[in-house]
Amino acid sequence: MNPKKRYQVIIGSVCLFLLIVGGTSFAAKKVINVWHTETNPLSRKAIANIVERFEKLHPDIKVEAEALAWGDLEGKIMAALAAGSPPELSHGQPITCAALQAKGLLLPLDDVVKHIGEDNIWDQIKKVGKYGDHYFGLVHAAGTSLLIYRKDLANKKGLKNPKTWKDLLHNAKELTMDTNGDGKTDIYGVTIPGDNLFINILLGELTKANGGILFDDQNRPQFTSKCMIEILEFTKELTNYLPPGWEGHGYRETFANMYGQKASMMYQGYGRGASLIEQYAPKDMTNTDYFDVWVKPHGPSGTKPAAQVDEEPWMMFKGCKHPKEAIEFLKFFYQDDNYLEYIQTVPIHFFPVTKSLRKSKGYQETPMIKKWKGWLDVQEHYLDNDLVKPTLVIDWKDMTTKPYLMEILGSGILKDMVMEVTKENVPPRDATRKAQKRAEELIKDKGYAKW
Amino acid sequence: MAGAYESAPGTLACSNNEWDEKMKVSPQKTGILLITPSVFLICALLVYPVLYGVWLSFFKKHSFFPDQRFVGFANYLYLMKDPEFWMSLWYGTYYSVSTIVLQIALGVIAALILNEAFRGRNFVRGVVLFPYMIPTVVAVILWKWLLNNQFGLVNYLLLAIGIVKDPLSWMGKDHIMASLIIISVWEFFPFVVLSVLARLQTIPPVLYEAAKVDGASPWGRFIHVTLPQLRNVLFVVILLRSIWMFTKFDTVWLLTQGGGAEKYIRTLPVFAYMRTFMYYQAGLGSTLAVIMFGILIASTTIYFKMFRGEEGI
Repeated sequence: MNPKKRYQVIIGSVCLFLLIVGGTSFAAKKVINVWHTETNPLSRKAIANIVERFEKLHPDIKVEAEALAWGDLEGKIMAALAAGSPPELSHGQPITCAALQAKGLLLPLDDVVKHIGEDNIWDQIKKVGKYGDHYFGLVHAAGTSLLIYRKDLANKKGLKNPKTWKDLLHNAKELTMDTNGDGKTDIYGVTIPGDNLFINILLGELTKANGGILFDDQNRPQFTSKCMIEILEFTKELTNYLPPGWEGHGYRETFANMYGQKASMMYQGYGRGASLIEQYAPKDMTNTDYFDVWVKPHGPSGTKPAAQVDEEPWMMFKGCKHPKEAIEFLKFFYQDDNYLEYIQTVPIHFFPVTKSLRKSKGYQETPMIKKWKGWLDVQEHYLDNDLVKPTLVIDWKDMTTKPYLMEILGSGILKDMVMEVTKENVPPRDATRKAQKRAEELIKDKGYAKW
Repeated sequence: MAGAYESAPGTLACSNNEWDEKMKVSPQKTGILLITPSVFLICALLVYPVLYGVWLSFFKKHSFFPDQRFVGFANYLYLMKDPEFWMSLWYGTYYSVSTIVLQIALGVIAALILNEAFRGRNFVRGVVLFPYMIPTVVAVILWKWLLNNQFGLVNYLLLAIGIVKDPLSWMGKDHIMASLIIISVWEFFPFVVLSVLARLQTIPPVLYEAAKVDGASPWGRFIHVTLPQLRNVLFVVILLRSIWMFTKFDTVWLLTQGGGAEKYIRTLPVFAYMRTFMYYQAGLGSTLAVIMFGILIASTTIYFKMFRGEEGI
């Protein structure tokens, strides 16, 4: 054999060896795919750390954790299910969990709940994923929407927590200011995101706060109701105090409006805003003397405030390859030490679902939790008094009786209705009629119409 | 066997000849055999998806689950009565026509400048191609920052120069289409530059010299020499860019991603995407795709009939 040929044989043999050894070692590991929606670097790092510790304990398991943007998640889950290769675990909207459970596409997480201890989980959390006697979803953490406001400016104007939408409009008017006297507005009264998801969240909240419903027991939309007309009239008036081009503002831009001192109130704020304020607002303003929260007001036909709860459940999919291993991973995730590390990445937005962690010294002594306690108190008030529901859910029974909410959310029907009223000056009655027709067609098309 | 060959060589020779005769393939058959893989690939990758799309358009079908029901032309009839469809068609046509006109105008002007000799020409030629090389997602994010109404550079400059008194809401209802057109033209005009510049470099200088001798002004030389020479390349560029802009999805979708002002740039591809992946109505989504396909076929045919004979393309 000439030297050239000899080298070729040696290199070929080494490649073959590596391929076989590598392939064997990879094949020996059970890979569990985990999709989550926490894309911020701290949360991703915490998950990576938890995964690393889990893999050390279970050398035969490999966890592939992937952070996905909210907007991408539902479509990706659906496509994976259709292709017959779903991930083992994924976050999802509560209404997605409801829709998939109704189609029999989820596996129960009862073992995880048993491991944590059912009594150790907040009652509110149980409502999201429990169907009959089984848990098909288990919330990773809960955070409610918040009405964030500039306390320093409100105090200067002598403004108080608005009880009704009328009060809120008054505060918004007062807080829309020309600070340098050039005749132009420098700080707007309110900021809200204009994107589809948040407009749906907003309408769900306002419907609850105005004592209305979105769909009746026959699944017929109730968009032409007095409640919805009042909501649209209120929203239209609120836009007088919103920054120009608000409809193009995303969720993060509304936070930028707050910490960038372009807006005095943020109607669709969340606890994660505290982290952003700490990061981007002027250092002397990063506290509750400047940015605090009010309890949200109620509408003219309502009596109680309402907010939305961002509590995405973990779901495990039928047809996934390693359900047992996925269960083990979730048990490990909810262990106090691991779970605390995760919660502390966005401590004001991630309300722990376990009572044990909530009471633990490690959690209570988290510096941000001490600093922004008022924000957590309002969230706790909402959660304990059942004032919060997931997106588009008005009553808890909607979770099981209205599996089409996911499609309503995706369709943009509600967002279009709001845009027509606020941006095209369409009278609320006309806009609601159009939305009603579109929603009725969609529900009929999905086969849920009972009227 | 070796022994048999050796003991009967004549038989072997005779068998070989018969074998050769049997294996002789006509040129026609050879041709068919050679194009079979290509035909198979075209059928698998082009014909089947198109036919499947057409077939789906006659069904009411969930996008991801195997629920489906034959509905005939119901999807087509539904869309014909749907104001959202007509609005999307209008937005799509407005967007594609405006961007094509601006791309061609800007592209030809830029190519003419870059065809002239000046210092740093090669560098500028390279820089002009940058927008076309940048991934769409990066380009859109970049422009969203530039056009941000509160903190964006564009508004800052417009205010500083005094062109506007108040910041413009580029991502709002009133200006979202203009923003989309600006971004798209910026992103895709280098394609026109590249194509036109390549053609400009092959125009014989003698034509310009003859025109000069005849007393033609620079404008006259452009109209009577350059433009006729560019006709063929512009024919192809307009055709390609029309198809690409009418079916453009990524730039349009990324600009709002379902944001409030999305309603005002909901072109047909975006509407088809929404019906398929947000309403989960694959049947209606396919119907929209088939309609788009039909519109493109019809307009391309008209375009060819109007200009092909004249240009001999």
